[in-house]
Amino acid sequence: MSLAVYLAVTLGFAALALATRSRTPLSTAIGLAGLLAATIAAFALNPAELVTIGQAGLAGSAYAQLFLVLGSLVGLGLAVSGLATGSRRDAPMVTLATLGIAGLTLTLTDPRAAVVAATAGGLFGVWLTLASGEDRTGATLGIRELRAVVVAGTMAIAATAWIGRDLTQLAAQPVVFGLAYLAFALAVAVRFGAIPFHFWAARLTDAAPETALPIITVLAPASLAIVGLAWTDSSIAPLLVDLEAERMVVLAVAIASIVLAALAALVQDDLEHVVGYSIIGDAGVVLLAMAVLGPAGWAPARIWILVFIVTRSAFAAWAGGIRAVFRTGRIDDLRGWVIRSPILAVAFGLVVAAGIGLPGLVAFEARASLVSLALDGPIATLVLVGTFAPLTYYARLLAVGLGRPARPPDPATDWRPRLQRPDLTSPVAWLRSTWDLNRAFSAAVIAAMLGVLALATSVGAFGGPDAAAGTPAILEGPSESFAPPPFTSAEPSFQLVPIPTR
Amino acid sequence: MNPALAGVALAVVVGAVVAGSARNARSAILGLVAVLLFGPFLADPTAQPLGLAARIVGAILAGYLLWIAARGSGVWTGGSRLGWPTELLVAAAAAAVGYGSHGLGAPPLGPALAQAAGFALAALSITPIANGRDIVRVGTGLLLLASGAILVRTALGGTPEPLEQVVTAGMIAALGGALAVLAVTARAEGVDFKLAAERSARPRRAPDAHPIDARPIDAR
Repeated sequence: MSLAVYLAVTLGFAALALATRSRTPLSTAIGLAGLLAATIAAFALNPAELVTIGQAGLAGSAYAQLFLVLGSLVGLGLAVSGLATGSRRDAPMVTLATLGIAGLTLTLTDPRAAVVAATAGGLFGVWLTLASGEDRTGATLGIRELRAVVVAGTMAIAATAWIGRDLTQLAAQPVVFGLAYLAFALAVAVRFGAIPFHFWAARLTDAAPETALPIITVLAPASLAIVGLAWTDSSIAPLLVDLEAERMVVLAVAIASIVLAALAALVQDDLEHVVGYSIIGDAGVVLLAMAVLGPAGWAPARIWILVFIVTRSAFAAWAGGIRAVFRTGRIDDLRGWVIRSPILAVAFGLVVAAGIGLPGLVAFEARASLVSLALDGPIATLVLVGTFAPLTYYARLLAVGLGRPARPPDPATDWRPRLQRPDLTSPVAWLRSTWDLNRAFSAAVIAAMLGVLALATSVGAFGGPDAAAGTPAILEGPSESFAPPPFTSAEPSFQLVPIPTR
Repeated sequence: MNPALAGVALAVVVGAVVAGSARNARSAILGLVAVLLFGPFLADPTAQPLGLAARIVGAILAGYLLWIAARGSGVWTGGSRLGWPTELLVAAAAAAVGYGSHGLGAPPLGPALAQAAGFALAALSITPIANGRDIVRVGTGLLLLASGAILVRTALGGTPEPLEQVVTAGMIAALGGALAVLAVTARAEGVDFKLAAERSARPRRAPDAHPIDARPIDAR
């Protein structure tokens, strides 16, 4: 029942916001109310819930609940931050739809249905590419995003269909398993815009506001990645098939994304591209998890995905806050941002601490585990060092922030809160003008709050490690949950399927 | 071979050829609607009524939204540069490959005709997706590709459960809706659905809903 309530709340409010789209204030209010209700509904989810429909169904889990709670919280934070800093009017609606479909994706017990749902979840992002005055350009960016989503979805659908049946009578070489695995892993890479599939994501960054980017390139693809990890661990990893060549391709994409995205973020001259490439770099670690091919990677990968979602959302909110203070995203024009907005400086520190982490933090250990599980020898050490590459662009941003401010402070964008004398004769106008006066402050506070949430997730609060290590409840009957069984020892706990040799 | 299923497969492939080759946008959309409507029937055993109804509703919704986007007379899309006979031959060749490789190396649970039609749709989708120059043309390719993948899934894994059919219907309707929104937006700057030319400079980023002030936010 609680799953149905969550889906009804998210998709219902999204539909309402879409229906009232022409009345922007009403649509925005509905969207924000929906995000608040979605957060409450996510907290109320029953992790042990099972819903049977025909021979398939939905199965809740503690991880799905945590994903949706954190997703709803960052969605709400980004929506309010978008209000303060300037965003698309459809952002709350798209966030709600994405969250609702992510909830469906994470709870469907059949991977063939889950990948279709994950594909549907990526389709709503096109609304965020559209802006007034940029009609044809926005539509062009939107169709490119749609192309990436559908092509990736098709690859995932084909992969799950190929493996999702009895293969004991396999007449072809077991190479089919490798191709199916590669197709799904590359589908995840395309959805994240991993290098070299990043052109659509880079163009998207030109058009979508910072606060909307994580919804399209983090939250929606993350649900496909979680399905991919579960499917790989339950369908591909237990098979005694040599997949080294396919693993190498996935590893190459992952390592290229980790290293080159950090380099790209370092040389960008505007914040939105730094945010965009930072997302691609962290997505590279998710792809590393796809290359682990063993149950040992199950928990660290899912922990990293949670940290990835919250940290990159906080970074995007920070970038939005900077834009609200400086009215620009050009990095060269941001000299002195640390002095101009101490709250944003705190938020930045929290984002760096959460994203990079320290030894002992759950996020740090998860990332290090994934590197050591996916790679051996010196290359593992090099890639582990490469995961610290974001420090270079963080250092650049900090250096710019500590510089002498380029221009005198603008009183209209002061970081401190400002209150006007209440005007009881016109309270709405008073509220509106107070909100306008405090846009920069509001954006900075939200960035700091999301930074705290990111650090808490990185530390392992909210029961993240336990939730990530768990598995959803299994439906009784012919349709089984596709998540792997609990991993309790160093030995794989899967039942091996015999593969005929030729 | 089941003659009824063969008829349905033929209708799906002919619809796809029309969608991929027509230059009139509404003709292309009609072809797409035929693909989306007949596709769910290409299963053995036939899908359960709930799932079938959901797929039909999803197909009609997607088609209707696209139909609205192509409102007006003389609304053109790219169409096939090689003409429909070439598209038909491509579809026939791909269908033959799909039929001949039924199961893809393991015992299939669905009909060979579904795989044949799925392969035909996937082959017809390649050119519009890779080389399309307008929203409807690329969108046609995307809908054909998605429908083809679902047909191949049916051929390999058997008739989908009602829940999966409902999710698929939602995906098809959402894809149609997203394409319609993009098509309408593109037409706001003219009468056609053409994509914007590649620009070397990055577009100006202007929030449309809650501007901080009247000035462009990023005055580069």
